[in-house]
Amino acid sequence: MRHLSLSSRQLGVIAIGLALAGGTVACGPKNGADAKANDGAPHKGGTLYVLNNQPQTNFDPARLYTTGGGNIPGLIYRTLTTRTRANGAAGNKVAPDLATDTGEPSKNATVWTYHLKDGLKYQDGTAITTADIKYDIERSFAPELSGGAPYLRDWLVGAADYQGPYKDPKGLSAIETPDAKTIVFHLNKPEGDFPLLATQTSFAPVPKAKDTGAKYADHPVSSGPYEVVSNENNGEHLVLKRNPEWSAASDSQRKAYPDTIDVQSGLDQAVINQRLSAGVGKDADAVTTDTNLGPAELAKISGDKSLASRVGTGHFGYTDYLAFNPKVKPFDNIKVREAIAYAINRTTVVNAQGGSSLNDPATTFLPTQAAFGYTPYDPFPAGTTGDPAKAKELLKEAGYPHGLTISLTHDTDKGGEQGPEVATAIQEALKLAGITVKLDGEEHNAYEDKVHTVKSEPGAFLAGWGADWPSGGPFLGPIFDGRQIVTDGANFNNAQLNDPAVNSEIDAINKITDLKTAAARWGALDKKIGAQALTVPLYHPVYKRLFGKDIKNVVISDWTGVLDVAQVAVK
Amino acid sequence: MTVETLSALDGAAGGAAAPPAGARQIWRRLRVQRAALAGGVVIVLLVLVALAAPLFAAVEGQDTTTYHSGLLNSAAGAVPYGSFGGVSAQHWLGIEPGTGRDLFARLVYGARTSLGVAIGATVLQVLIGSAFGLAAGLGNRFADGLLSRITDVFVTLPALVFAIALLAVVPSGFPRPVLLALVLGLISWGSIAKIVRVQVLAQKSLDYVAASRLAGSSTWRTARRELLPSLVAPVLTYAAILLPSNITSEAGLSFLGIGVNPPTSSWGQMLSTASTWYQADSAYVLLPAALLFATVLAFTVFADGIRVALDPRAASRLRVGTKRRERVAAVPAGAAADTAAVAVPDAASDDEDGTA
Repeated sequence: MRHLSLSSRQLGVIAIGLALAGGTVACGPKNGADAKANDGAPHKGGTLYVLNNQPQTNFDPARLYTTGGGNIPGLIYRTLTTRTRANGAAGNKVAPDLATDTGEPSKNATVWTYHLKDGLKYQDGTAITTADIKYDIERSFAPELSGGAPYLRDWLVGAADYQGPYKDPKGLSAIETPDAKTIVFHLNKPEGDFPLLATQTSFAPVPKAKDTGAKYADHPVSSGPYEVVSNENNGEHLVLKRNPEWSAASDSQRKAYPDTIDVQSGLDQAVINQRLSAGVGKDADAVTTDTNLGPAELAKISGDKSLASRVGTGHFGYTDYLAFNPKVKPFDNIKVREAIAYAINRTTVVNAQGGSSLNDPATTFLPTQAAFGYTPYDPFPAGTTGDPAKAKELLKEAGYPHGLTISLTHDTDKGGEQGPEVATAIQEALKLAGITVKLDGEEHNAYEDKVHTVKSEPGAFLAGWGADWPSGGPFLGPIFDGRQIVTDGANFNNAQLNDPAVNSEIDAINKITDLKTAAARWGALDKKIGAQALTVPLYHPVYKRLFGKDIKNVVISDWTGVLDVAQVAVK
Repeated sequence: MTVETLSALDGAAGGAAAPPAGARQIWRRLRVQRAALAGGVVIVLLVLVALAAPLFAAVEGQDTTTYHSGLLNSAAGAVPYGSFGGVSAQHWLGIEPGTGRDLFARLVYGARTSLGVAIGATVLQVLIGSAFGLAAGLGNRFADGLLSRITDVFVTLPALVFAIALLAVVPSGFPRPVLLALVLGLISWGSIAKIVRVQVLAQKSLDYVAASRLAGSSTWRTARRELLPSLVAPVLTYAAILLPSNITSEAGLSFLGIGVNPPTSSWGQMLSTASTWYQADSAYVLLPAALLFATVLAFTVFADGIRVALDPRAASRLRVGTKRRERVAAVPAGAAADTAAVAVPDAASDDEDGTA
């Protein structure tokens, strides 16, 4: 399984790395009075509180599954490359972090070389070396340190069966460290996206002498602007303080304004939003990295200007769609799939998920961001509310002049992206086209099992997809690459499409190291696949999140869709 | 309230002669209790609304499933435009946030689900409970022991948790309202079985039952001819208490998302969807909540009225003027009939503990 197919909430959590923390830390002067006195520009000092729902479990760079280095993890772990900390689309670019550049490719993008910047140090003052980065990557292969992203096992030469440095101290021969500041990766296939992968936390340095195995998460050795003071209950409450050895001169991305960051998790989402909107006491200095505003909360806030000004809007690359399995009748007939695509009413679907502020209607599988290769297209134009007449026509051509009955599998989690509200909206829209939809609601885990297992995959179901980095490759590959059909595990290629033309185009694009050129090709491929109506894209979720009254310098990149903790100031 | 009601009954009955028998007697005792009558009227209205739901929706000109996207402020979380949740001449009680479906139509159709499931479950509970209670009361020591232990198991089951588990394992194709009635009915019949058993044990030793047996009646015939008629009062009373608790159970299960499937409406399911909207669209929350409250209150008050009307103690008290009143008061727990009557409220409070 290569990808996570999680709800965006879960993905956000993993991607962004989160936290825990809450309000018990006493350090850091309270800043109410002087915050008001200053000029509105961000200043150093104070304590930032992060109020989250999901804990930052297994806070070990080998075990974290992050995109762009994560949000909270990125405060402790610097990686070879990282995401650009900028608003919107500019934040979708990859930037050098520990390395001097984003990587030098050679041999058709199968060999990638990085050099470290000068003067990089851990929190204890010792020098960071490329051997330490290699060591952490090797740790991420150890079964006792599970949880990290699986890409390197597939990509590195001879790494498929590697069991980590504890069992196999010889290490990975695919990674060379000719000197303390150089590291070379040998891949078994061309991967133009390698610089984007190198943002993940497994590319952080871990000094071998300080490695405590599974306990490393409690007291990791920091390479970033903060160090861990305490980590309670496996990431439920993290307290971070400034790392004196970190130098802004070597880090162009992180601002690190607060002196202390207190991350409390395990909070109810309604409570988080309530506390942030009230902003009493230290909650004025609080943010959340995993809790969105729900429809009702948005309805309440939209009438309140001062609250509305404290809402950050983010566009994480994610698509929710109706998936077909053409191996199940009548979805083997493209005209039936097209008829459904025409009949879908995206307005009711979007409203069911909280309306137009929380969702953008989708007609493309790729998210609407240039980094993914977004190419606008709509193979079955039906306006914003669907075209049931056209759908009926197609059904007649398909041999169903009197309509037909289909089953739609969905998650029974209320309010979820694959939940009953969306399914019911689709049911009602298809009714107008003469299609009777029987809803097959399954409890969350049963639903996940059913739709991602080849043998039990239903003919039509709700699904969602987000990529581990902003590029067309991790977005289209797992869904449409025939070689990524997983017959004995979690499969995400819902159509079980194994089209040699698509497969070879994916290979060809992976060789391209110029991300812009590659993006254009991904967009074209998306358009080509879209015409086959194997999915009906429904909407791209939009994140709306509150932040505290005294929070300054809010930066929300399209890479994460969430405010960047490393940029926020409370003074 | 029992004490006051009883005194009221005394007053109303005045020095009337021997109590009339059967339905007339019950009606006379019921009609003096205004709260119970009001509850009864509300119940009749609700049943009518549920039966004529399509008619009501047609008069309004709406149905339960049509989406009205144009009436929603999509940019503000898809909340209805207008006041009181989008009340208008077309939508008498407003529309549902997120979909724009008509709330009046969904409420009147929801009455079908809520009342239908509750009545079905109650009937099932009465049937199973009476059968178990009767068999235990009439059976030999072994049968009584076995059946009573089985009953104990069902009384002590955490009903809600068990219902959730049962509902989760049944395939989604099974008709959901029927399933809900079945699950509720099959789980919560223990208290009624206990009441029936106690009644049967008490009646069994009375002379008229012994006479029937001596006359050669079979056990079944004795049960049917002599015992069952005397069980009507306690069973009816308890059924009237079970019904509102079944309404709330259905609402609770629907609230937890394991009740009826969408797009079928039920009050509990509406309350569940509405719960996050209490600040942004309070009308949406108040409608199903108020209806549930009114319905459960009506049934409860009515049930209390029935209980008073059927209570043998009330009957004995009504024998004023026969000079038996003083004697009865002097020997409070004397007659077997009194013991049996006491068992009713006791068992009822057991059940409240079990389902709370």
